[in-house]
Amino acid sequence: MATIRNQPAPPHPDEAPSRTWRVNLFEKFPWLKRVVKARSFQFSMILPNLLLFYLFILAGLFGTPIGSRNIIIVFVWILWWFVLITLMVPLLGRVWCTMCPLPVFGDWLQRRALVKVRSGDTVGLRNKLFGLNKRWPRKLSNIWLQNFGFLFLAIFSALLVTRPIVSALVFGLLIGLAVVLAYVYRLRAFCSYLCPISGFLSLYSMTSMIELRSVSADACQKCTSKACVRGSDQGWACPWYVYMGKLDRNNYCGLCMECVKSCPNDNIALFARPFASDIKLKGYDEVWKACIMLVLALSYSVVLLGPWGHIKNWANISESGNWGGFAVYASATTLLALVVFPGLLYLVVRLGQWLARAREHTSRELFIRLAYTLVPLGLLAWIAFSVPLVMVNGAYIISVLSDPLGWGMNLFGTAGFHWQPLWPAWVPYLQAPILLAGLFWSLRTGFHVALDLFGDRALATRALAPLSVFLTAITMVFLALFVG
Amino acid sequence: MTKKMFGMIIGAVALLLLGVLALGWRPARPVERSIIVEAEKYAYTPAVIKVNKGDRITLRLKAKDVTHGFFLEGYDLDAQARPEMPLFWVRRPSTGEAYRTVEEVRFVADREGKFRYRCSTTCGYMHPFMQGELIVQPNRLFPASLVLAVGVTLISLLRFARAGGT
Repeated sequence: MATIRNQPAPPHPDEAPSRTWRVNLFEKFPWLKRVVKARSFQFSMILPNLLLFYLFILAGLFGTPIGSRNIIIVFVWILWWFVLITLMVPLLGRVWCTMCPLPVFGDWLQRRALVKVRSGDTVGLRNKLFGLNKRWPRKLSNIWLQNFGFLFLAIFSALLVTRPIVSALVFGLLIGLAVVLAYVYRLRAFCSYLCPISGFLSLYSMTSMIELRSVSADACQKCTSKACVRGSDQGWACPWYVYMGKLDRNNYCGLCMECVKSCPNDNIALFARPFASDIKLKGYDEVWKACIMLVLALSYSVVLLGPWGHIKNWANISESGNWGGFAVYASATTLLALVVFPGLLYLVVRLGQWLARAREHTSRELFIRLAYTLVPLGLLAWIAFSVPLVMVNGAYIISVLSDPLGWGMNLFGTAGFHWQPLWPAWVPYLQAPILLAGLFWSLRTGFHVALDLFGDRALATRALAPLSVFLTAITMVFLALFVG
Repeated sequence: MTKKMFGMIIGAVALLLLGVLALGWRPARPVERSIIVEAEKYAYTPAVIKVNKGDRITLRLKAKDVTHGFFLEGYDLDAQARPEMPLFWVRRPSTGEAYRTVEEVRFVADREGKFRYRCSTTCGYMHPFMQGELIVQPNRLFPASLVLAVGVTLISLLRFARAGGT
């Protein structure tokens, strides 16, 4: 059996230090529970995206090669990305995973069903599953592959977000991988360990204002069926192999809601909660994910939003052919994300440890736990980066709606809409407060982490001081890029 | 940390912020500036133009490879240049008027801050990201936001250190 993702037993969510309020949404909105419990819930969420997504892929393959005139580029990399990073992730966590069309064929291959559930007995699960149902390698049961995959794709992002054919081929490759892995491995190995989107969603969903959790930890302890993770005749085994009785973070819950259906005790609910309530990173893979994401937000801001044409040419390798420049750009980004930035983080954490005279905690523990401070700042930096994407390039959405493939159609009479940015001069006035809010939340949650570690306010502040300077410096770099 | 000391530090940060803003008020003497902007996939030369508020700008636009646009944020100016053409085309987007041919365009840099100029005519794959920066000083948002970043950090740390304030 694959490793359950959330061991060992955590404190109950109510014990989290930053928790100030928590609302059971199923109690408050009973209709929501009815909707979620319907067997057709997830497929109904996926179906519209599935149709759109395959239209996008067709547009990528057969539409115009000009990105700003092709729906796959405009809708995916401007509209979808903006909605995902600014609304879905901070408010609704991994809700994109609920409706993601990438794994749907793989799911069908495993389940031979789109809506109904099959009871049975497959490798210890209470469902009938098809395929080889092999165990995912234990050594790869982490998000390192997602880290490297996302970094690799990001290095080629200048091609990915401007060439419709590249976007279509990458999405096709991801679907193919999802299908193959679903056939070979049990449950959603692709989503859990390979999907590059899933990797950053797992990190930033820690900040989200909803969580799916057990209502009573006691009911879970007494439960003998563990239907949430093993499945039942009411619901599929958790595709992420998460046992709800021990779930204390959003990271590896894909919000598919199968556990809500399968729980025999009706003990699973969706809760609203404060921003950035999950504050515990648990391994180096997650620390490096936080570093990679922050460095990439910086890299994208320089390459795509900066005025430096030669760097754009380095990144735009298939057109410029400047392999030397590309090597500089790719190696600098990789080195910064994997070595320099984590190294600096380690140094400031060690300095904080020295200032706090903290000998009861290992450097490893402090490094992993305090790296969480990169999460709120990273998310807000991505939001700040994404604001101009939609305010400046969002105008392409209107023309592309009428001519999605760039073939000269005019379906809704808006194909000739002239590109016109939306209040572009106000963009820096939005970006600056967004970044400052990110700094504030990073410091605030950093203090909760430090207080959780040291149990003493003065020690926590001393341990956090060098890291605070580091976070402030990062914020200033972003401010220099966006408003300086 | 006493309440009095905490208040003093907040006051100091506020004073520093006001100081930065006040320094920004000191006007530089306006001058005439003649600027030639050359557009080539996917960059402008100069990439960054720094002027002072009130400067009178005379701008010429040249395209070196393909047709490029020049949409200047905040100044209601959109232009288009074609290769090997000494004249270029300009319009005010807010009025919806058609492009008119000009040799140069003049305007007064009367809005301070950071404004991007962007290509407004599809010129290739990286077209949506082709941009330069016009910085009209004093760009007070930048130093003010730097001071605020320091202020957020100081105040946060002081609040953490204080008993009873998380």
